[in-house]
Formats: sequence, C-alpha cells, structure tokens
Amino acid sequence: MKTTKPAVITRVIKMDRGKRLIAIIMLVAICPLLASCYDAREVDDLGFVIAMGLDRGKTNTLRMTLQIAKPMAGADGGSVGDDLPYEQFSVEAPAVFSGLNMINTFASKQISLTHLKVVVFSSELAREGLKPYLNAMLRGKEFRPNMPIVVARHTAEEYLQSVVPKLVTNAAKYYELVFQSYKYTGLIPKVEFHDFYLASKSPCRNPVAILGDAGKFLSAEEFDIKNSTYMDHHRSMPFEGDFFAGDIPALGGARAENVGLAVFEGDKMVGELDGTNTTMYLLCTGDYIHSYWTFPDPLAEGRYVLMNVKQSRKPKHRVEFVDGKPRIDIMLNLEGDLVAVQSDIDYETGDNSLVLESAAEDYIKDHVQKFLDKTINEFQSDICGFGAYARAHFMTWAEWEAYNWHTKYKDATFNLTVNFKVRRPGLILRSGTSEAMESRRDDQ
Amino acid sequence: MIKSLLLFHEPQVKKPFILTEDSGNVNSGNTNTGEDSAKTGENKEPSRRKKNENLLLKKVEKIKLTDRRERNQKDQKSDISRQLSENLKTIEERFSASLNGDLIIRQFDITVKDSTIAAFLVFFDGLVNTKVIDDDILQPLMLLSNLDIKGDRDDILKYIRSHILPHNQLKEVRTHQELIDEVYFGGCGLYIDGLDAAFAADVKDLPGRSVERPNNELVIRGPQEGFTENLRANTGLIRKRLMDQNLIAENIIIGNRSKTPCSIMYIKDIANETLVNEVKRRLKNIDVDYIMDTGELEQFIEDNPALPAPQMLATERPDRVCTMLAEGRVAIIMHGSPFALVVPITSNDIMYSAEDQFLRFPYSNLLRFIRILAILMSLLLPGIYLAITNYHHEMIPTDLLLAIMSAREKVPFPSVVEVFLMEISFELIREAGIRIPGPIGPTLGIIGALILGQAAVEANIVSPILIIVVAVTGLGSFAIPNFSAGFAFRILRFAFIMLAALSGFLGITVGLILIGLWMVSAKSFGVPYFAPIAPRTSGGFTDAIFKSPAWKQEKRPDYINAKQQKMQPRISRKWALANENNQAGGDNTGDQNG
Repeated sequence: MKTTKPAVITRVIKMDRGKRLIAIIMLVAICPLLASCYDAREVDDLGFVIAMGLDRGKTNTLRMTLQIAKPMAGADGGSVGDDLPYEQFSVEAPAVFSGLNMINTFASKQISLTHLKVVVFSSELAREGLKPYLNAMLRGKEFRPNMPIVVARHTAEEYLQSVVPKLVTNAAKYYELVFQSYKYTGLIPKVEFHDFYLASKSPCRNPVAILGDAGKFLSAEEFDIKNSTYMDHHRSMPFEGDFFAGDIPALGGARAENVGLAVFEGDKMVGELDGTNTTMYLLCTGDYIHSYWTFPDPLAEGRYVLMNVKQSRKPKHRVEFVDGKPRIDIMLNLEGDLVAVQSDIDYETGDNSLVLESAAEDYIKDHVQKFLDKTINEFQSDICGFGAYARAHFMTWAEWEAYNWHTKYKDATFNLTVNFKVRRPGLILRSGTSEAMESRRDDQ
Repeated sequence: MIKSLLLFHEPQVKKPFILTEDSGNVNSGNTNTGEDSAKTGENKEPSRRKKNENLLLKKVEKIKLTDRRERNQKDQKSDISRQLSENLKTIEERFSASLNGDLIIRQFDITVKDSTIAAFLVFFDGLVNTKVIDDDILQPLMLLSNLDIKGDRDDILKYIRSHILPHNQLKEVRTHQELIDEVYFGGCGLYIDGLDAAFAADVKDLPGRSVERPNNELVIRGPQEGFTENLRANTGLIRKRLMDQNLIAENIIIGNRSKTPCSIMYIKDIANETLVNEVKRRLKNIDVDYIMDTGELEQFIEDNPALPAPQMLATERPDRVCTMLAEGRVAIIMHGSPFALVVPITSNDIMYSAEDQFLRFPYSNLLRFIRILAILMSLLLPGIYLAITNYHHEMIPTDLLLAIMSAREKVPFPSVVEVFLMEISFELIREAGIRIPGPIGPTLGIIGALILGQAAVEANIVSPILIIVVAVTGLGSFAIPNFSAGFAFRILRFAFIMLAALSGFLGITVGLILIGLWMVSAKSFGVPYFAPIAPRTSGGFTDAIFKSPAWKQEKRPDYINAKQQKMQPRISRKWALANENNQAGGDNTGDQNG
C-alpha cells in the first residue's frame, strides 16, 4: 500500500512530460508521412526555359518556341562557339501551357519557367492584340514580373534562332545583359512585363515593347542604308539611332538586334519607332540614364561634336487644359561631357561653350518635338504617360475615366524646354593651337 | 510499459535498500534554502520552479538519500584510542595494509629525556613529499624532541602541536575517519602512543601537470595559464588574480567512493545567495559512487540534460573564471579536472571567447560577428543548400543554377544522399583526426577531408559545390568557441538536413521554431537561457551580442541578480576629465568599489 503511493506521484510527473514528448514526436513523425518531399525536384531533372517566343501558327493558334538552357559541362571550358548554349524547340499549340505539355512529349526534362528571361511576340500577333497571352503570364506563379517584352519584326522563331551569343557561355546571362542596354545606349526602351501589363490597362498611358529582329546583313558587301530613317531626320547620313531592328549595318556577334520600340494602343501594336525616337521617348519618361550622342558641330560644317549626355534631373511635366485641349509642358534637364570635338574648336571656354549648349538644346528640342508629333499624328498613342499628370485636374476617378484621355491625346500641344549644360571637357582642358601654328595655317 | 520504453527518463535517483520513515536533518535544511529566496528579496526563481523543487524534495524525502551517508558516518565514527597497538591494528585494517603496496606505515620512537614514546606515521607513497616528512616531521620528533613529560596529556598534545612539529599545515583529529580522509588527500597521519588524538599533516605533492597553456582556449592577447588537475593549484590560480577579500572557496566532497573534493567559489557580497545555496544544494544531493571529471558533474547538476546547448560554461582559463566571478556568477572546481564550471550562463556566453575582453572593442565586435555567421552557417548551410536546390529553384541566379546543374549531371545520387554522404564522412574524418597521434592530427583531418572530397568529385560521386558547402560548414563549426555548443550544432545540423529535404524552407522554419521554443524555455540555474534577449531585461545589453568598450560596462548583467549592480561608475576614465582631483600621485584603491 505504501509503496504504490510514491509510484503514483512519480508517474503523474512522468505523464505530463511524456504526453508532451509523445505529442511532439508524433507530430514530427507524421509530417513526412503526410507530405514528404512533395514538391522536391532535383535541379538536373528540370529544363529551364530562358526565352519564349509566340507566333501565329500555321495549323493552330500559336506557334510556341522555347529556348532551354543547356548546362555547360564543367569548368573545363566547353567547346566555345559552335555549341549553342541552349536548345530550341518549337511546337504549335492553342495556348501557352498546352504548348508546354506538348513540348514535354519529346523533351526529357520537366519544363520549368521560373528562369524565363524574355518573351518575344511576333509583330503579326502583336497587331492582333496580346491580351489573351498576357493573362497567362500574369497569373502564372512561375513568370517573373520583371522580364522584358520584345516584339520581333518578323517572326519570334527567327529572332530567337538568330541569338548566338559569342561573348558569354551562359545564354541566360546574354538575355539579362542585352536588355539592360537602355541604361547606356538609349536605343531600346525600358520595358518590364508588369509595367507593360499595367500600361495596357491604364487610362493614362500606353505600353511599349522592345523591337527586335535578326540582322539582315551576312557580309560587308550587303550593307546598305536604304531602310534607315536618316532622311526623316533631315540628315545627310544616318546617325547611330536612325535604324530599325535588323537594319543596322553590322557584322559579328549574336545576330539578333534590338533597336527601337513598338508602339501599342492598349494591347494592340500600332507602329514602330526607330532608335533616335526611342532615345527621345526615354528622355520624356525620365528613364534615360546616359549615352553618347553625335551633334553636328555648330561652328564647323560637316564635323561632329560627340558628347556623353546624362540626365541631370528627372524631367518636369505639367499638363494644363487650354480650350479643353491638353497642353503639355515638358522641361528636360540634361548635361553633357565632351568626348570628342572633331574640329578642334575650343568649346570648353567662353562664348563657344554657350554656342555649343544652345545648339545642342535646339537639336534636342527639334528631335523631341518630332517624336511627340509622331505619337500624336501617326499613332495617337500616349506612350510617354502624360495622362498621369493630367489626372490632377479631375476631382474623382469616375470623371477622369469619363474624360477618356486616350481619345483626347491627339489634340494635345506641347511646350518644350530643354536645359543643356556642358559640364566636363574630358582630359583636354583647352583645345587650341599656338599662335605660330595658327598663323601658318592661315597663310596656307 | 510501452510508454516507459519510448520516453526518455531523467537519470533516476538510486533507491537505497532501506526505506525509513523519519526525515533526516539535511532535508529540512534543503527546504530552508528553498524558502530562502524570499529573504534576499531578489527572487529570480519563478513559482513554477519552486513547485518542481517541492516535488523533487518530496521524492527525496521518500527515498532518503542522505540516510546512507549518515549510516556510513555512524559506523566509522570511532575515537582514537590511547593504545598505539590498537590504533595500528585499526589503521592496518582500514587501509588494507597487507594488500596495498603503496601504503607506508613507519613506526618510530620519539625520544624523551629518559624514555621513549612509540609512534607511527602512515602515508601513501606517491602522494606525499617525502622530503618534507623527513625534515619536518620525522627529524624534529626523532632527533630534536625534548619532551618534558612533567605536564599533562593535553599539555603534551599542545606542546607537540605548537613547539615540536614545525610544519605549516597540521590538524588535530579525534576520529579515524578524518585522518583517513586526510591521508587519502596526500596527508600524513601521526599516531602517538598515549594520546587519544592524532595529527594529520598536509604534505601533499600530488603527481600532476604543472601550470601550462590551456589546450583548448588559445588566445593571442591575454594570459596563457590554464587550470591543472590539482584542486589547490586551481583555486590558487584564481585567488592570485582576484585578491578580493570577499572571495570565498567552499569545500564540498562529491562521490561516495571517489570522495572527490570540490570547491565552490564566489564573491560573497556580489553573488546572489539563493544562487550559491542552489549550487550547494545540487552538489550535496548527488548520490553517486565515482565522479571523474566536471563533464560528468555537469550532467548531474544541469537543468535540462537533453537540451542541445550547454547550460554551464566549462573553461580552462582562470582569467575567464575570474571575470565571471566578478560578474556575480559561481564557479565549481573539481579535483582532478582541468575544467572549471561556471554557472549560470546564457546563450550569449557560449558565443564569447576568452579574448573578447582583452581586445579593443572594434576587433572583438568583428570577431563576434564572424562567430555569429559561423554558428548560422554550421547549423543551416547544408539545409539551405538542399532546400534551394530541391524546392526553391527560382531563388538562385540563373548562372549559379546552370553551374549546379552541370555539376550534378554526372552524379548518380539525389542531392539528399550526397549531402548525407559527405557530412557523415566529414564527421568520420574529424573523429578519426582526433586519434591521429601528434600535432598534425587535426590538420591532417581537415586536409584529408578536402582531398577525399576532391577525389570523390573526380569519381563523380559528389558534385564540387557540395564539397564547398560541407567544408564551409565544417569550418564554421570549428569557429564556435565553446566546445559543447559546437557539438550541439553538429547534431542539429543533421536534423535540419532532414527537415530541408522533406519540406524545403518550410521545414527549416519549423525546425528553427521548435529549436527556438525549446531553447528559449530552458533555464540555466534559474536564469532563462536567452536572457537578456528573451525575456528582455534592462541593462544587460552592454555585453550581450556586441560588446561595448571596456569603459562602458557599468552594470552587472541584470539576469544574474547580483547584490551589487554597478561595476563601474559612469565615467571610468577619470583621467580624461579636466579636474584637479585626478593628478598623478596617491593610489586609487580607495576609489574603486569592491
């Protein structure tokens, strides 16, 4: 009788802790039984798609092209050049995900879209409207929202096939880098998928997409500039941006070129703009960072002044309504570093610098005005997003939507101011010659 | 019962073979110390702990631990007789003199003016300094004694003690047991015919190491002394650094057969009394035959034997012990162990190295940051690698992903198997490296691991990225300064690998939450393990994770509840003040608070 009493007390203590412990152990042991390794996939069981192209299909709605990255074998420097870092598959399917299913019938690895770097649409598909395809991309968890959208001037399949990266062994790196070039060339717009989608639904603005194409020229003999827009810009020969994608007289490297932008109205493509106009677009939206420009020399005919133009401040916008029509005021603040003065005139000091600055301002103003007129006359599409600044004049959102900015944009007028300052002369502080040399040259 | 098969029991107290009803004196002493907490007014032990204490005490009452010790003492409490032959017989019997080869019984005669008095010495050869015995005990007694036997018996005792025996530690004992204990600790027992008391002289010269560098806690800047296995040498090392008059070193004997002497050290007017009493209570109430090392002792007196992290700091460095004593903690030093235990500690203390306080604070903060990284890596890196490559492919940059893919193309196993393989072989190599003789052992271990890993990569058994993961993990676990904590993280790492393989980041998160819950609810001698972070206490932060400069450490850590909170005044560098009081000259001992 007495010996059982301590046993009862001690067992009470054990039970509490024991129950706890058993509960924990059972919970921990059941979890793997319920859900173990449910989602686990080895990395080498998956095929990672890095680029996707969508075209109008011959037998079905869509022709889908997928580029799947190939893991480069080891660090032994796998054979460079001949071996493409990706494999390309094409399939005709009614929609995006059914295309994935069909490709999995002959591709061994399970397709994973988590590393998709770019989506390319053909211009035919873009002119018909991209809404059905955007929905899949937005809804799917696997699509990254920051990938660029490219419109290929011919077919997406051709564009993707022409991508042969020569400087990188990793195809994904190629795509990551090439669409960042807006930061330092200004020849393609800054496009991210989530922004594209928002703009296609927005009452204030319209989206743009990067224009891409396979380079046309296979050898130097074939170079010609008949497709260039230099005539529209009243120039005697094409500057760096006066081309559309595919027309640049260049050889070597990956043959896919990205120059210019595709103008959209809602989700339908309505036109294309060349590289120079793309630069103006970037200036107006404020996404411009810096690039090298060619200005005609104001004091010497036929020569150029090259400057590294940077955005010193974001542009200031303002929209006023005059007679019911919007008047858009834009003020651009730019600065330039002298990179080359071909004529050796000293623009660094004195009046010459002011001459250069005002010449540059006029040049920029001229081009921006032409760009904006184009958006009004040819496309009637507000791609720079000025509607966002017009919203302030309306009291409620319903009023703003009833106003329907997209139809009113074509009556808009512009009031441009450009501030351009030359800041740095590079490593030559003063260009000039000695008096003796000058007098000798004058004699000659 | 099935339950008792599945459950992990705390080490059960041994049931003695006699169960009696009366409660001994010691038990009421225990309950007193439990209620002592109200006295000081700074009760850091919550009521739940007291409930556990009471339950434990009830258990103790029922089981009657102390009964056995009392019974042992009763049997052997016999007085020393005046007959030398009787004493000799008792001693020979108790010491098993016929069997013990190293027991020496030296019989001799003390010369007196006209008669001789027989006497004998008993000591253990090997534990004593025989020169001291010869010079200071035998010589004066045999050659130089001039006993005047005119006086009384007690007078002779006093005379011998105060005049004849020029030895510095001499104790007069009246029971055989006391003398036997002294002899076992390196003393020398002296029986004199006709006296009913005996003398025990401390002539110990225990064989052992001299004071050398600590093996495991090496610092660059700081003292290079480490504890040895000798109790008195260790307490001496501490006393010579902390010459505080309030530094107490209490004696306790642990172990029924090994009778290991231990020393509890604390500073009387700083350390919380309930803490000291609790330490004493736990140490006195261990019923065990042999205790060899503080590692065993730690397991006997810690709160949570199953917790992965250690709840007591085992350190080889006297300066570290002194710092902690000055903060108000209690140190336990055991004879035969070069590691001292310091209680209570929190999770921050396992992250400190001894050098942190000697370096300037930017350097020590950098080192702490690296150690935190090392802990996180050694715990989580293989788990995170598995979680990301199996479940969360979108988190890796595409470059790295393709590199991993190309590395894994040739490996036939799934990544879980790879990771387990490499981790287990790394642990094998580490363990084997300890046994390789000589100083190259551990180095060879690591290099061997890397070479083995390289060979495995060449054979396409594992992928090269995994070698790096495993190597970095191993290095991280070496960077943890506390030995036990390093083990804890090594074990937990495997749990995290399993969890990550089962459910990716969800598994890792669940694991972290569970471990966090467990460790946050743990206590080390009444102090919550994650103080001062959880629960948040005030004023404990100057040294919690990142260290403030030495001149800013003003208060003792709050969770220790020391008797005096302030360590330094707000301005410790008084020379920096523009003041005429701080001129050179005069000593500054008056200014410091003890």
